[in-house]
Amino acid sequence: MEDLTRMPAGAPADTTSVAARYDAFVRRRIAITASLLVIALAAFLLDLVTGPSDMSALQVWNALFDSGSASHSALSIVWQVRLPQACLAVLVGMALSLAGAEMQTILNNPLASPFTLGVSSAAAFGAALAIIVGAGLPGISQNWIVPANAFVFAAASVILLQGVARIRGSGIDTLVLCGIALFFTFNALTALLQFLASQQALQQLVFWIMGSLARADWPKVQVLAIVVVIIAPLSFASSWQLTVLRLGEDRARSSGINVGRLRFMSLLRVSLLTAAAMAFVGTIGFVGLAGPHIARLLLGEDHRFFLPASAMTGAAIMALASIASKTILPGALIPIGIVTALIGLPVFFSLILRPRRIG
Amino acid sequence: MRFSSLAIAAITGLAMLLPALSSQAAAADGPVTFKDITGQSISLPQPAKRILLAEGRQIFAISLIHPDPVSVLAGWLGDMRRSDPKTYELYRNKFPAIESIPVLGMGNDGSFSVERAIAAKPDVAVLGMGFAPGGHASEIAKQLEAAGIPVVFTDFFVDPFRNMLPSMRILGHVLGRDAQAAAYIAFYQEHMDRIAARLSQHIGKPPSVLVETHAGMGECCFSPGKKNFGEYIAFAGGDSISAGAIPGPNGHLSLEYVIARNPDIYVATGGSHLAAIGGLVIGPGYDLTEIRSRLAKLAARPGFSAINAVQTGRVHGLFHNIISTPVNIVAIEALAKWINPSLFGDVDPERTMADINAKFLAVPLQGIYLVDLK
Repeated sequence: MEDLTRMPAGAPADTTSVAARYDAFVRRRIAITASLLVIALAAFLLDLVTGPSDMSALQVWNALFDSGSASHSALSIVWQVRLPQACLAVLVGMALSLAGAEMQTILNNPLASPFTLGVSSAAAFGAALAIIVGAGLPGISQNWIVPANAFVFAAASVILLQGVARIRGSGIDTLVLCGIALFFTFNALTALLQFLASQQALQQLVFWIMGSLARADWPKVQVLAIVVVIIAPLSFASSWQLTVLRLGEDRARSSGINVGRLRFMSLLRVSLLTAAAMAFVGTIGFVGLAGPHIARLLLGEDHRFFLPASAMTGAAIMALASIASKTILPGALIPIGIVTALIGLPVFFSLILRPRRIG
Repeated sequence: MRFSSLAIAAITGLAMLLPALSSQAAAADGPVTFKDITGQSISLPQPAKRILLAEGRQIFAISLIHPDPVSVLAGWLGDMRRSDPKTYELYRNKFPAIESIPVLGMGNDGSFSVERAIAAKPDVAVLGMGFAPGGHASEIAKQLEAAGIPVVFTDFFVDPFRNMLPSMRILGHVLGRDAQAAAYIAFYQEHMDRIAARLSQHIGKPPSVLVETHAGMGECCFSPGKKNFGEYIAFAGGDSISAGAIPGPNGHLSLEYVIARNPDIYVATGGSHLAAIGGLVIGPGYDLTEIRSRLAKLAARPGFSAINAVQTGRVHGLFHNIISTPVNIVAIEALAKWINPSLFGDVDPERTMADINAKFLAVPLQGIYLVDLK
């Protein structure tokens, strides 16, 4: 932020030193983004070699690349359990954190996230309808009824947010307030369903809401991978516009950016990313809020770096959370939604509380 | 292992005997005194004609000792109507009056309407442990008592392994059906003893079992811990792989743990409440083809092909809603037989079910409650 406002403004006498400083600025951010990528990759690999069965890293390697020398159960564990879960963890982290980053920017609000603005509450309500009432979309197979409901409600909540904001003549404050209203509305509706639910259904819903990577299988990984692979580049492509928007709506307008359209497209991406992610793993609150903040604290506001870095921090947080959820109680699974916050919080606090440094 | 199941059987037997000795044998209409499951001494001027039943599915227990279980209900909770509509239908077919019994709540104690309960004017309120002192709904019991309704606690749900038969006996006292309760308890105990005796003679490592409750409702595998249902699995001679991994009464096993432990036997529980979500349907109203196709689908989930139970075809299904009721002896026998088929070749749970239907139940169990994939 500081760098950006300083860089184009003023008329520096020594242009070469500005260029050099800008080069250093970019190099430093590339280096940080690259190291975040390395951390996320390392966390992913560690996730792959962690589990309640005592498989060595070598056995995992064999199951992955030399299936002839691996036992049937080792193959099952790696290909049916660990790999889809590890992939889903990373994809969910990327999707939620990227969505949170875009949301914070377009709403100009550090508290904005899919969780705080009601998207996850809507997803939970959709899931509750499927689990408790058995109500789902017609033509959806039984295996997909819960994720389909969660997806539809999550996506619809963001679109509703859009619509309401448009009718009111689009202030971002209205948007945020509507999001908070949605949060309470869907929470109340879900609580009402919980109250009416049978004990078994209630228990299932509570587990769904707490989130789990055990729902991972290859079709789900594929669907989410497709969503992330299509949406993330579109999001990165808007990074200049989003960066300018951070300088203020008026400045963005005067630079020729159609702010309404930028906001609309961004919210559309946010809705698809969060809806797809939450449909498959349940509601996970922390990543969408803290992932972007960690990235911002490390990198600043330049969205060319901030957006990819948010995706990387999200991926790393989720991969580490996945490891923790498997190791805290061997054999049992701690719901991932609980662990995620616990894993991410120390990093988050240390970044918030560290002495501020500009550069 | 063997010794402990025998010891537990003996303790259960003693626990049943004690209240019988301490309580005065109830005359049909005279005053009755007995201790409820919390040890509280209860005195009733006479056996109850109309009771309030806070755990709807315990109509099974009443049905075992009373020819018209519906006639003694002044009010009940809606849990059974909701979570087991097919069984409810069996009751409605035989006793249409069940439709007009006041429903005091939607099925969880949070929704319990004390006002409706008092208005229903029951002679006695039969409540579960959730309403007992220290339970999350203990205020309700106090309010009922304050309204002059005697409160009796039974427990078929929190610690059924120890409290099921004593609770059965308490129900007998409450309803003045002591003899019928004693007869069913003897029947139940005889079948339990047969399993315990057989296993005490048996030497060998207990086969490993994966029990997945409400199979298919969430991801694999929602399973019982060491207590509650877990005790029945151990009693039936199985080494429940979830017993050591799940700290509470139930929780989620990781699929990797299941594959690594490689259980010899897989038992899924289910019922009509899983119909919409694609889980195991079984029990009244479902035919063998449908039940087996759902069970086959569960066994074909990712990762399951690797486990021993699936490879050797030792895959079974069980109707969930009988587990926390006194007819669960059928399920316990089935478990024992699935776990040690050679040891229990002559034990026939279907036959036991037929006996219970013929000798005890006012509304017989109808349909498939136990199933083998092959």
